[in-house]
Amino acid sequence: METQTAARERSAGPGGAGEERDPDREFAIGLARAFGGAIFFSLPLLMTMEMWWLGFYMDRLHLAVFMVFMIPLLVALDHYSGFRETSTWGEDAVDAMVAYGVGFVASVVVLALFAVITPAMPFREVLGKVALQAVPASFGAVLAASQLGGGGGREEERKERVGYGGELLFMLAGAVFLAFNVAPTEEMVLIAYMMTPWHALALALVSLVMMHAFVYAVEFRGSHSARDGTPGWSVFLRFTVVGYAIALLVSAYVLWTFGRYDDNAVARMTMEAVVLGFPAGLGAAAARLIL
Amino acid sequence: MGGERDRSGEGGRQKNRTSRWEWVAAAVGTLLVAGTIGYMLNEALTAGGMPPGVAVHVDEIVPMETGFLVRIRAENSGGETAAGLTVEGELRSDTGSVEKSQVTIDYVPARGSRFGGLIFQEDPRSYALTVRPMGYDRP
Repeated sequence: METQTAARERSAGPGGAGEERDPDREFAIGLARAFGGAIFFSLPLLMTMEMWWLGFYMDRLHLAVFMVFMIPLLVALDHYSGFRETSTWGEDAVDAMVAYGVGFVASVVVLALFAVITPAMPFREVLGKVALQAVPASFGAVLAASQLGGGGGREEERKERVGYGGELLFMLAGAVFLAFNVAPTEEMVLIAYMMTPWHALALALVSLVMMHAFVYAVEFRGSHSARDGTPGWSVFLRFTVVGYAIALLVSAYVLWTFGRYDDNAVARMTMEAVVLGFPAGLGAAAARLIL
Repeated sequence: MGGERDRSGEGGRQKNRTSRWEWVAAAVGTLLVAGTIGYMLNEALTAGGMPPGVAVHVDEIVPMETGFLVRIRAENSGGETAAGLTVEGELRSDTGSVEKSQVTIDYVPARGSRFGGLIFQEDPRSYALTVRPMGYDRP
């Protein structure tokens, strides 16, 4: 009880719990954190040339669908680990849109600093580059609190209370974030070209083993099931296997989004999904530790 | 347990917890996202299938120590990006071809343009200069 209160006071920062809160001031702090998180998390992608190119050449419909797909994901992420403690889904939705906006503005600023976007470029090109970068940036904005500070007691509590659906949602978010970070590069395609089906099989096996190790670590970190003496195979089936399935689906979706699936060569499509499924799977399994 | 009680206590103050600036920021964010999605959908529905239509123009001719630079501008009016666009420039006299020069431009985005240069030993102003796109790749 005492430690919880202490953690909460830290997380609330100056003018914290107990006293009357100034919502404007809290929002300003949250916004600053969100900008920090947005740039911090998306910097590797902001400095990836394939991302700039995808910004203008990727299919506009795929990009629009992806942007829509991100909205419920951001709302859900904010619900569990957003940049302020929220209670209602409506507030989470507001936060998510703020985060998306922060992602946009942060992307514009950094891309303009890098001269990746200039006023001489056509509007379509600039908007494409910014819209694509805004996705990982908004992710970072939402996660800012739980990573860059704050965090505090209440979020831990909320994470404890998530049900099975919430767990899968965390996995989905982790898979999307990791997959998105590596999927734009040419290396994804190149690795799939170099691998034989045996390599793919081995990679899938290693993915599952590593994922299970992460899931197991998370279970021990304070979740319910392992303590109840749930058998290992049950955890394996409910979390590891399901998580890997989510990772493969997310991989396929991200690859489709980036136009890697345009040629419908099923063997290569599967191979690429397995390659991308490795980081996506680790992201899914470690999501509870990271997010 | 203690957390549970605190949360319900905070629920009472819920009404004035959202800063009005947050509403402003959320409105801006929504506008940006909705506007962008709308723009993308419009692009997808109108220009999506149009192949790259590339035209190459000569911007200026600059004498250099090692020859002559012809600055070119490749414009793509189509709906798809042209990758690895090859541009060839040729100087012709009455008797035939005098000199050829070639450059590859990595990407010319849909509705966008990219700049490049062709270098000649002979003065392009003394001959008939033609520049034309040769071919491109899908990204």
